[in-house]
Amino acid sequence: MGMERLIALWCPGLLREGERGDEARAFLQVLVAAERFCPWVDPVSLGICTIPSRGPSRFFGGERAVVEKLAAAMGDLAVRHPAVGQVRVGAADGLFAALLAARSGLAVPRGETAAFLAPCSVAVLRRTELAVTLQRLGVHTLGQFAALPARDVLARFGADAGACHRVAGGDEGELVGLRDSGLRRRLETVRTDRADAGHPRQPGFFGGASAADARAAEAFARVQERLGAGAVVVGRLQGGRSPEERASLVPWGARGTTAPSGPSGRSRPGSSPAAAPWPGRLPVPSPTRVLGTPVELAVTDDTGRAVQVTARGLLDADPAAASIGGGPWQEVRGWAGPWPSTERWWSSRRRRARLQILTAAGALLVVAERGGWWVEALYE
Amino acid sequence: MFAYDGRTAVRGSAGRPSGGLGRPVPVLPAALAARARPISSASSRLLPLSEPLVSLFPDRALRRGSTVVVAGARGLGTTTLALALLAAPSAAGSWCGIVGVPDPGVVAMAELGIDLGRVVLVPEARGGWVDAVGELAGGIDVLLVRPFGSCRPGVARRLVARARERQTALVVLVDRPEEWPDGPDLTLRVTRAAWRGIGAGHGHLQCRLAEVEASGRRSAARSVSRRLWLPSSSGTVADGDGPEQPV
Repeated sequence: MGMERLIALWCPGLLREGERGDEARAFLQVLVAAERFCPWVDPVSLGICTIPSRGPSRFFGGERAVVEKLAAAMGDLAVRHPAVGQVRVGAADGLFAALLAARSGLAVPRGETAAFLAPCSVAVLRRTELAVTLQRLGVHTLGQFAALPARDVLARFGADAGACHRVAGGDEGELVGLRDSGLRRRLETVRTDRADAGHPRQPGFFGGASAADARAAEAFARVQERLGAGAVVVGRLQGGRSPEERASLVPWGARGTTAPSGPSGRSRPGSSPAAAPWPGRLPVPSPTRVLGTPVELAVTDDTGRAVQVTARGLLDADPAAASIGGGPWQEVRGWAGPWPSTERWWSSRRRRARLQILTAAGALLVVAERGGWWVEALYE
Repeated sequence: MFAYDGRTAVRGSAGRPSGGLGRPVPVLPAALAARARPISSASSRLLPLSEPLVSLFPDRALRRGSTVVVAGARGLGTTTLALALLAAPSAAGSWCGIVGVPDPGVVAMAELGIDLGRVVLVPEARGGWVDAVGELAGGIDVLLVRPFGSCRPGVARRLVARARERQTALVVLVDRPEEWPDGPDLTLRVTRAAWRGIGAGHGHLQCRLAEVEASGRRSAARSVSRRLWLPSSSGTVADGDGPEQPV
């Protein structure tokens, strides 16, 4: 069966929108919390979303671990945001079965979709007319419906019923009407700017500059005179996802750079707002060099064919060799990821995937985007 | 029919104790632990070093006015090691400079325990690196430099003399020791290194175990070899003969 394995979240209290839009706001919290497990959160309709099972399962050590952690995370979320209420988690093959599984809080084993659906009422297809007709004919369950010959269903009830028939038999997961096409726009309108907008740190000032500070400042000014004002920079941490977003280099002399920061103002790794978890953030330790201009990378499998990232963010072959910027080919000794990265997925469809690649010459952080590979950072 | 009990596993119960839910590894405590206490006042001739590094140095500290060469193929963790030499001094309030290291990883620097408020960088010094080093040597305590292109012996001698005169510790980062044509007080060579935690499509780059050989003049004439995590799984530098890193 070619259906994608999905983990679904079902929020019984958020399925219908009230007048004040609280449900949509609470559902956004659910989406953001789910995004910590996988950025490819797919909002299906208000109160219902899915994530692909495969990527997170690989990262967290199995689907069961993902499901348990998701459930725990949603429990925590409900404590912090009571408006979220109960969140049920389920998993199954294909969207339709995944939604039903989540509604019941069940994980349906791979390949058991038809058996899971069989006892369900035909009413779950949400085709009132069809359901009434079928029940009059003595067909009450999806299993009984699926047992009817496909050709007869098509001839007697039409194309939409044919699609329902394939879904009932566990052969397909998508069905017209499952998705709320206006949902993304609605979420966009209730979205408030939160999370990782980045708070530039406020340096705490000592009383006055010491003699050492004055001497250092003079030396920096002399270098600026020789090499240009922009040549001397200081590093700053901020919120963000990729290495280049999380840090910035600002010219010495810009506001807040010329006075030493007190110990309390010291930038700390792991402190908010730089503390978004995977996959927004890459794992510690971070690369020692973050290239301002990414360098092209070629990655091939053991047959010499170029390795690609699929639409679902998986590699289509195991990398065997890599060449940076047309340089010598290096053997690939290990890789991790791809970790998909969609910056602000509900407003943008831009998809990237990041990988760490270990070659004989060193470790690289690479990004795959639009069919190409780029070295973004080095662990020198 | 069900491989595992979905009912107990997947119900999101409010008030359930939070599990390990993808929370970031707590970075800070380890970073602080690895950060040495300042062992000298500003007027002292010695600058502090992170605890895992002290055994490489004959003075068990970074001597002002001395030159340390950090050498090894890129990818072995030489940049990590060189940056780590700035962690304790900057945290103790010393001004540090980094010249000629293009595109420095600021997040990695913070993870190593470097106080970013005490470090200025001249990443694209290129041909101007000698001038930048000459000027900075007069004003700051620790200066890390990667020479641009080949360095003539006369230039190296001049910079070393200036650093000694101004009591600035000079850390020179090169691929091979011969690239710095002036005998340093101490040479730290990373001879080999291996990453842990990354597999064929799983895990991630977690920590790098490196062998570092220290040799030098006078009191450092006898070479010392140490295993170090460059970096450890928390992004700091740690003793490689200590407890295994969690992988």
